[in-house]
Amino acid sequence: MGGLKRKPSSSAKALAKSKKKKGPHLPNSILKVIANQKRPLNSDEEDDDDVIGSDDEHGGDLYEYEEGVPEEESRKNNRYDRHDNYDYELPDDFEDENVESEDDDDGGNSDNDEAEGDDDDDDDRHTRMLQSLTGMPSAAFEGESKSKPVLFTEAYPEGEFNPTRDVLEGKNVLTEEDFLAPLEGTPGYQKTSKQIARMRKDTKHVVHAPLPKPQRERLERKAVIGLVDEEFSKWVHLVKKNREAPTVYFNQDVDLGYSTVGAIASEFQPRTEFEKKMASVLNDSEVSMEDHIKDHNHIAKMRSLLFRHEFKSKRIKKIKSKTYHRLKNKDLKNSSLGALMDPEMAKEEAMRQEAKRVEERMTLKHRNTGKWAKRMISRGLNVKYDGPKAAIAEQLQMNANLSRKMNSMRDGSSSDESDDEEELNDGADEDTPSRLIAKAKEKTLKALEDDEVPNAGLMSLPFMKNEEANEEAKRALEEYEEWENSGGENSKKTVNVSGRRVFGATAKVEAPKESRKDSDNFYDDSDSDNDMAGIEDNNIEPVRDNASPARNTITETEKFDDDVAGNPASKTTFDVAMFASGSWKKMAGSKNTESKKASRKTRAPIPQAQDKKGWRDEESEDSESEAEQMVDGVLTSTSKETFEVPSQAELINRAFAGDDVLDEFEKDKEEVLNQEVPKPEKPVLVPGWGDWTNIQKKRGISKQMVQKHEAEKKEWEQGLKTRKDARLKHVIISEKVDKKAEKLHTTTLPFPFTSKEVFEHSMRMPIGPEFNPSTIVGELNRPEVVKKTGVIIKPVKFEEVNPNDEVDDEHPRNHQKQRPKKKTSRRQGKVKSK
Amino acid sequence: MTMEVALEDNNLMEKVLPPDEQEIDVELEAKEKKYLRGEGANLETLKDKKLKTQLASREKLYGKSAKAAAKIEKWLLPASAGYLETDGLEKTWRVKQTDIAKEVDILSSRNQYDIVLPDFGPYKLDFTASGRHMLAGGRKGHLALVDMMSMNLIKEIQVRETVRDVAFLHNDQFFAAAQKKYSYIYARDGTELHCLKERGPVARLRFLKNHFLLASVNKIGQLHYQDVTYGDMVASIRTGKGRTDVMEVNPYNGVVALGHSGGTVTMWKPTSQAPLVQMQCHPGPVSSVAFHPNGHLMATSGKERKLKIWDLRKFEEVQTIHGFHAKTLSFSQKGLLAAGTGSFVQVLGDSSGDYSRYMSHSMVKGYQIEKVMFRPYEDVLGIGHSMGWSSVLIPGSGEPNFDSWVANPFETTKQRREKEVHLLLDKLPPETIMLDPSKIGAMRPSRRKERPTRGEIEAEKEVAVEAAKGVELKKKTKGRNKPSKRTKKKKELVENVKKTFPEQEQGAAGKKRRIGEDAAADLPSSLKRFARKN
Repeated sequence: MGGLKRKPSSSAKALAKSKKKKGPHLPNSILKVIANQKRPLNSDEEDDDDVIGSDDEHGGDLYEYEEGVPEEESRKNNRYDRHDNYDYELPDDFEDENVESEDDDDGGNSDNDEAEGDDDDDDDRHTRMLQSLTGMPSAAFEGESKSKPVLFTEAYPEGEFNPTRDVLEGKNVLTEEDFLAPLEGTPGYQKTSKQIARMRKDTKHVVHAPLPKPQRERLERKAVIGLVDEEFSKWVHLVKKNREAPTVYFNQDVDLGYSTVGAIASEFQPRTEFEKKMASVLNDSEVSMEDHIKDHNHIAKMRSLLFRHEFKSKRIKKIKSKTYHRLKNKDLKNSSLGALMDPEMAKEEAMRQEAKRVEERMTLKHRNTGKWAKRMISRGLNVKYDGPKAAIAEQLQMNANLSRKMNSMRDGSSSDESDDEEELNDGADEDTPSRLIAKAKEKTLKALEDDEVPNAGLMSLPFMKNEEANEEAKRALEEYEEWENSGGENSKKTVNVSGRRVFGATAKVEAPKESRKDSDNFYDDSDSDNDMAGIEDNNIEPVRDNASPARNTITETEKFDDDVAGNPASKTTFDVAMFASGSWKKMAGSKNTESKKASRKTRAPIPQAQDKKGWRDEESEDSESEAEQMVDGVLTSTSKETFEVPSQAELINRAFAGDDVLDEFEKDKEEVLNQEVPKPEKPVLVPGWGDWTNIQKKRGISKQMVQKHEAEKKEWEQGLKTRKDARLKHVIISEKVDKKAEKLHTTTLPFPFTSKEVFEHSMRMPIGPEFNPSTIVGELNRPEVVKKTGVIIKPVKFEEVNPNDEVDDEHPRNHQKQRPKKKTSRRQGKVKSK
Repeated sequence: MTMEVALEDNNLMEKVLPPDEQEIDVELEAKEKKYLRGEGANLETLKDKKLKTQLASREKLYGKSAKAAAKIEKWLLPASAGYLETDGLEKTWRVKQTDIAKEVDILSSRNQYDIVLPDFGPYKLDFTASGRHMLAGGRKGHLALVDMMSMNLIKEIQVRETVRDVAFLHNDQFFAAAQKKYSYIYARDGTELHCLKERGPVARLRFLKNHFLLASVNKIGQLHYQDVTYGDMVASIRTGKGRTDVMEVNPYNGVVALGHSGGTVTMWKPTSQAPLVQMQCHPGPVSSVAFHPNGHLMATSGKERKLKIWDLRKFEEVQTIHGFHAKTLSFSQKGLLAAGTGSFVQVLGDSSGDYSRYMSHSMVKGYQIEKVMFRPYEDVLGIGHSMGWSSVLIPGSGEPNFDSWVANPFETTKQRREKEVHLLLDKLPPETIMLDPSKIGAMRPSRRKERPTRGEIEAEKEVAVEAAKGVELKKKTKGRNKPSKRTKKKKELVENVKKTFPEQEQGAAGKKRRIGEDAAADLPSSLKRFARKN
């Protein structure tokens, strides 16, 4: 056999071996100890065998002869460089095939595994073992092996991952038949063979080994994620819409389905037998619902009354006091006879009782029935001393007064007070004049009568008689009558004659006096005004130009006191009543400018052709005219004062305008620029620095300093270039930062914005009511969430949302829908139509 | 369901529009663009989907708002500005006031008049924002407050002092006058409320409406800003450019411009001592400055008889008009430019992009124009001159539609009061005055120099050390209060303070090392192995 090695291996073994290979290299003795310790735990015999087998294989300690095998060859723990076999190189995909073949093996050859596990290098032993196991002649095995005289050298030691070539090729594989063959003829053979055949046919019920847990879980997760995604993705549009909505509403449609109890009742449908019967009774009977309710209420009331009465009587019955019952009976006798029965009598009775009570009250006090009064009288003090006497007398007096008053009130006769009230009412009511007059007449008549009544006494004396008044009254009466006769009809027409006028007629005598007085006052005032005006006129005499028509008069006021302007120390202000006195008048320049000019012309001869001349001519002429004015008469005198003779400096400035102004400005600009963007200083050599003696050659300014300076200079130039006024020669724009104004700017971008530009564009529109039509202001300033107080915010309900729908602020969306069915259906419909 | 159907119908309707409606659409689109205030950002570049959708919906809302605003403008602001139209060879600048008077309605013709007040010298004018009231200040102390609607004199006072300038405060209730020595604030009825002594003799007064600042420049070239709500002097700045009486406020951003004798125009804000911008506009002295209401254009005129128009976004000259020197300049609400010199007023219009002659008006010879100013919301130009003041019609100068939330010429007392409160609530702090106020709320511009200089750090350190040395130590119990312990403690304190300031040398060392690295590259290859490695 030589170098040929065949080691059919099992997967189980492979596992064990691989573990050992990859683990730390332990001495075999230790491994053995470990294996021995493990053994009692593993009840399975197969495992036992495996472990032993593996130990046998590699446990160099146990078998001397195996120590001779070089460790490089066994490749223990991969510690050694690969020892190449140059005979044959296996293809790369060898391992994959290997796995498959192993799987095939796994099918039923567990027994075979066991057998092969014990296998050794020795071929004879192998065949012998196979023979004993399978019961087949050894030639079957040997023939196979011998039919391949070709020598294959395996590129690796045989192992559980590296099955032999013939196994890979599908030959030499054990099948069920191989194992069954020796059993043929034994009593249970038929049964087992049938069973095996059935098992082979029946692929359905083959239970595959479960996948390892992590793999299984991964698959599960995958499946679950798919489902969950699907579930959640349908919410995406809804969530997106809510997120992007400028305003979310929670107060819309708080509809509870039914608004009132009546509405609920109206929808009631009788279902059960009893309900139906009731309904038929209610609907068919003539008794209306209202009547029924009324009756019901009435009965309930009566019942409750009875109940209360019963209670009361029970309570009274319980009272044991005899006196109480006696009194009660007496009362009953007194009152019950007539009073309780007849309301009329009851009223009378009540009245009587009341009067009695009042009377008693009146009599109790202020009579000499008081304790103090009684005492006084009994002891005779009221006669003895003046004080008590007077007091008692006073009391009596008071009593008399009160009783009289009470009597008079009881009579109910019309009193003066009531009259007064009437009068007041009349005054307030704004009666028609006729009525008022009638009333006035009545009054005067009454007054006359009153005057006539006192024939005796003081009033009858001649000097007491108010004859004048009487006459007056009579005159007034006559007037009333006249008025009634003539203007009665008119009066009906003129409704809104003030009441004052009527009363004014009664007080007619005084009226003219007053008016005269008023007018006098008025004139007096005006006189004084006139006086003032006169005084002022003394100062300011209006001179009217008679030549021009009245409307277009050019009025001039003479010079105010010459001191006025020249006397600035006294700066008290006083009115100049030029407007009031009417001395100022508008001078309409519209129509009569020509004439005005003509009139002016007399004083200031001005060429009229000026309007016709052009733009520049005008100018030149203007200057000419200026020159002219200097020579002219009146006007120049007035305008002279207004003309300020330019100062020497100004004249010089004007004369040399444009000479150095621009240079100066440039200098200024340079200065300002230097201030705002300071020019970097040139590096200078300080004498004595950087050299020892003056003999030593000077190195000049250091490279570093020069570089630094250049960088600064670049920066400076850049700064100058970026200025707003960099290109404008004639302009200096200050770029100083105004610290006070900094609070008007934001330092950072507000949250959702990421670009300055977008933010500034979004800020360009004012949203206040001053800048927007009132129809939009509300929408522009609506808060993010609109919610009524007390509205419960419910979780979002699923609803179909059309992703193509734009966010619409006009029709606020509902987030709280009580009846979402209709709406969703509508939305769906809309989607479809689109 | 019905809603959707209706929407679909609308879509259909939009598709087939009659031609005239399409024209309206084009018109509306132009207006919409104005209200959109620029383009939206490019959202395609955004990666954040949530932000993208939210911004997209926001843009949609903006579009809707602009559309609604455009529609409102179209239907609710129907009045359009007038203009002069001529036939054939006629020129608009040949049209005289008399010709206009024949054509216009009675109410408008009432706006042509001259008020002759020869005694109180050249008059300065100022209008309230609504154009309802006018303030006239004669050089010789005559102050008059006139209701322009009814042409009533509300109040006039004689202050018996030189009046150099007048200015309304936020409404017609208060006005300021720059007088000989100080400037004063008067109430509507002429009562003197305040005497502003701090400013010195003021040459020009201007009021910044949105900021409630009264700005003034005085004889010695100092610029003052005073808050009129609480009276504090917000800023006083030495311009260092000498005396000037040319001052104007840019209505767009509140920046004050001064014209100087050196031909420069400087722009200022209260929060910085240095000018924001210096422009060399003219070779000679600057005689006047004016700003377009949109804030983009500035007109200057120099004594060398040139008028220049500048684009303030680029700070470049847009146009030069030769042979014209204006003593006073004024832009109207619609962008017409009035220039007054001597007794002649020229009005320039920008109908063809460039400013060219639109109208002219010559006064009686000898009237020296002191100030021209367009009356807001009216086609009227007020001219203050040496002989009083005049008013002429300039068609197309005023804004035809007034917004009662901005300025209401027909304001009632209650409205005025309410407006005052609103104005005060909306008052802007002085630091909001900047060249480009649209940058407010944007990202802070990167600072060129973040790190403080060495000198600054050292100074700071010194101060901190001094402070540490000056700390009074507590008197402790007997054993722990030894002088040695106290000195030790003090030393420790100082050391701690010093530690908080990082050593300067360290940074330098780091730099050195870096330089060494660079040197390694220069070394010959044989020596490279000795170079320091990091």
